[in-house]
Amino acid sequence: MVIVKRKTLTLAERLYLPEILRGMSITFAKMFKPKVTRQYPEEPLPTNEVTRGQPRLRQLIDGNLACVSCGLCEAACPAYAITIDGQETDRFIEREPEKFEIDMLRCILCGFCEEACPKDAIFMSTELELAGFTRASLKYDIDKLKRTMPELAPRMDYIKRINERW
Amino acid sequence: MNDFLIILIKTCVIYGGLIGAAALMTLAERKFSAWMQLRYGPNRVGPWGLLQPLADGVKFIFKEELCPDGANPWIFRLAPILSAVPAMLTVAVIPFAGDVTLFGVDCGNLSITDLDIGTLFLVAIGGLSVYGVILGGWASNSKYSLLGGLRASAQMISYELSLIMIILCIVAMTGSLDLRAITESQNTGNPLSWNVFSQPLAFVIFVIATFAETNRHPFDFAECEPELVAGFHTEYSSMKFALFFLGEYCAMIVMACLTTTLFLGGYSVPFWEDAPWFIELGSFCAKAGFFAFLFIWVRWTLPRFRFDQLMHLGWKVFLPLALANLLVTGAVISLA
Repeated sequence: MVIVKRKTLTLAERLYLPEILRGMSITFAKMFKPKVTRQYPEEPLPTNEVTRGQPRLRQLIDGNLACVSCGLCEAACPAYAITIDGQETDRFIEREPEKFEIDMLRCILCGFCEEACPKDAIFMSTELELAGFTRASLKYDIDKLKRTMPELAPRMDYIKRINERW
Repeated sequence: MNDFLIILIKTCVIYGGLIGAAALMTLAERKFSAWMQLRYGPNRVGPWGLLQPLADGVKFIFKEELCPDGANPWIFRLAPILSAVPAMLTVAVIPFAGDVTLFGVDCGNLSITDLDIGTLFLVAIGGLSVYGVILGGWASNSKYSLLGGLRASAQMISYELSLIMIILCIVAMTGSLDLRAITESQNTGNPLSWNVFSQPLAFVIFVIATFAETNRHPFDFAECEPELVAGFHTEYSSMKFALFFLGEYCAMIVMACLTTTLFLGGYSVPFWEDAPWFIELGSFCAKAGFFAFLFIWVRWTLPRFRFDQLMHLGWKVFLPLALANLLVTGAVISLA
């Protein structure tokens, strides 16, 4: 049998009031401490190349996508968020996507597409904000997904660096 | 005619001030609670979030009105009114300042009325607000509401007893039920003549009893979120809920004003006996504001009591102490 020993309270503690005043002095002092809340839209979260935000497509310098519409990211996507329709092209890579659509409401930001891509065409960007008035408006097509090289450069370097480990 | 106009204007000003103060207090509650928890609180609507109560009011008006199945529709609608109206009525007898002279017109005292039985009126009407709580709890046809209403009424009735005993001490010392006479007896220019110094024990009991009387933390058994969802107003929505809210905050403000009047010399200014009325009003607002802040301060500091602890405190500690205080006061008065 466990016997819990009660702490014997002093008279001041049994009167409650001095202890209550002590507690109130603590809360009063807290009012003037610096606040810990982040004022979100004005103070966004810091992002860096490790941030795994929404997937974006890499644009080559000539303006075309690096994607060859091989469909590996579509197959790797666990949430079935990616839809690709390929077409032939006269460019050296011979195939390019006619339609590349990511349903941002399905995307779980896992980064598997980035890992699966053999052509370094899709990367997780630092963009985190997602809002829209209709479901259809959150199905991003090529126009909304393509990003220039400098925008994705830090992430590309980072992916290259960790891929070199194995 | 002129007298009637003056009274009409005074009524509008004081009730406008009361509603405004209640709205401000809902904001202050959120602001201070946020600061005590190292947050910012509402700061988006207007400068420093000052228009937040307005936004809340608009939101409440546009919310859907619900009346639960099996609820008594008439009593269900009556209860919020019964909760808010007594709290607002009681402010009529509080003297906010002395004689007011505005644009050369003598407007009389800054209070809606100077009843000879002001204290009695305040206690009687204030006691009615328990009906709002228990009828709201009963008419909702919900177990949580009923339990919340029962607890609240038990608590308010038991603490009202010690509250009235304390008021009786002050009334006995002053020899008048008139709140203005009570204020004037303390308005000697010397703060030491305030009742808080002659009745320190009564002051402490009174302040704690007002917390129980207005159903505030640490005695908010009417709401008691972890046990009773939201207590007596669980089933209320829209403006009906807002009325309960308004009633609660008005009751807090009235109680703060009453504490000021009874114990801190009401509108009297320290070391200045014949201060002009606006300085007196400022002095009153500063004192009442402190007690209003105290309500918020204590709420965000202390955890809730257990119900049996509350009853123990009310019946076995406060009531005997208040009675003993009254006895000693009476003895001192009759001997002196």
